[in-house]
Amino acid sequence: MKPSRVVSYGVVALLLLCGGQALANQEADDLKRQIESQRAAVSDLERLDDRHMVTDDVTLLRSWLDEAWSQYSKEEYKRVREVVDRCIAQAELIRQRITAGKMTAYANDRDAQVRSTREKIERTRKSLLDAQSTKKALEMTNK
Amino acid sequence: MRTAKTLRAGGWAVGVVGFGLAFAACATPPKPNELEAFEKIKQSANYQAAQRRSPDLVAEAERLFSKSQEEWRDNDLEDSRRDALMGQIKLKTALALVEYDQSKARADKAGQELRTVEDEYSRVNKDLTATQEQIALLQRLKDTSSQAAVQQEKMQRELASRDALGKARDKVAAAEIALKNAEQVKAAEYAKVEFLSAQDSLARAQAQLKAGDYAMAGQTADAAADQANRATQAAKPTYESSESSKSSQARNEALARDLSGIPGVQVRLDRRGDVQRAAVPLRGLFTRKSTVMTPGNDTVIDQLAAVMKKYPTYNVLVVGYSDNRGRRDQLLALSQARATAVYSALVSRGVEAKRMVVSGNGAEEPVSDNKTAGGRALNNRVEVVFLYQ
Repeated sequence: MKPSRVVSYGVVALLLLCGGQALANQEADDLKRQIESQRAAVSDLERLDDRHMVTDDVTLLRSWLDEAWSQYSKEEYKRVREVVDRCIAQAELIRQRITAGKMTAYANDRDAQVRSTREKIERTRKSLLDAQSTKKALEMTNK
Repeated sequence: MRTAKTLRAGGWAVGVVGFGLAFAACATPPKPNELEAFEKIKQSANYQAAQRRSPDLVAEAERLFSKSQEEWRDNDLEDSRRDALMGQIKLKTALALVEYDQSKARADKAGQELRTVEDEYSRVNKDLTATQEQIALLQRLKDTSSQAAVQQEKMQRELASRDALGKARDKVAAAEIALKNAEQVKAAEYAKVEFLSAQDSLARAQAQLKAGDYAMAGQTADAAADQANRATQAAKPTYESSESSKSSQARNEALARDLSGIPGVQVRLDRRGDVQRAAVPLRGLFTRKSTVMTPGNDTVIDQLAAVMKKYPTYNVLVVGYSDNRGRRDQLLALSQARATAVYSALVSRGVEAKRMVVSGNGAEEPVSDNKTAGGRALNNRVEVVFLYQ
């Protein structure tokens, strides 16, 4: 093997090694950013959950984020990626649950309004009947 | 020998344990909780709806479920748990979306229903409000009518009361007048019982009037008036008699005074039965047997005529008398003629003829002795006699 070729191979190997290291650093940064982003998002989700419908889910999400961070500290990036992906999905689930819960609450509220209005109608009808009787009696009296 | 046996037994035991371990290594491990939970979630009633709503999510969940099962069977429990968790999250997300859709549909439906029932409520409430307004008007009308009726009744009562008051006052006034009338005839003296009763009744009527008991006041006043009238009726004759007597007596006395005032005349008062008499003897009016009055007696006749006109209620006798010289019939005629002459003289002076009765009594009722000329002169006379009771 020619020396020049040996040098070439060395350079290539060095480049590959440096590139891999750079990629690994970039992914670590990305994961860290995602973990931080998710942590910030949790607070937003808690604020959104004004009816405390997804408290358990949020707790779970927090524990997973802690787990992700723990794995990140150990530089277990593959594991971190898995956990972060799960956290992202869990956050989406929480958002959907909050939205659905709010819509359910809204529907329940509407249903309650309908029931209440129906009761009001019944009461008003009864009052109307009473009033009509009173009116008839007064008309007879005034004749 | 024993050592060999012991070694053989130990070999068996190691074999059995080894076999057990190998068997255990080959057997399926317990299913992870995450996978079991995933299976339960899959049995959700909304699973089909989730498939329709979010096919990608459900497909991904199914893929992860299958993978998790495989991993479990391959005893790769960690990966199985991880994929089961991820699958659960995907499926739960799909189910949450279904729940959202269902809730939204329910909310939309409820919203429509709410609008309908609110419209209905609005109608019913409007009807109720209108009816209540009508009731309020009717009630006001009723109240107004009641108030008007009460007012009318009050006014009627007031009018009736005023009317009763007026009537009662009139009756009390009438009773007072009746009592005054009774007082005027001295009923207190001549009809004491009736008068006192009337007075008492009047006092009661006045008290009742003051107390506002007009009906009773009217009745009592009527009774008082009746009693006063009865008292008047009872007292009147006595009173009138008394008054008349007093009046007549005074008049008679005045007459006697007036007659005495005529110069040359002596008035003689006497009574015959119930009749009082004031006799005025006129002498010297005639000479001898003459029936014509001698001149110079006009003053006496004038004054006598004046007195007679002053007392027009007295009836008067004009009676001629003579002495006893002559026949009786001649003396009667002479005395009659002389009385007539005086009568005529009085009539000519304005005395009412119908008040006077003329007669000639001749020589009857001599007032002196006819044996002497003086006595005869006294007997020749015309007496003007005023009669009264």
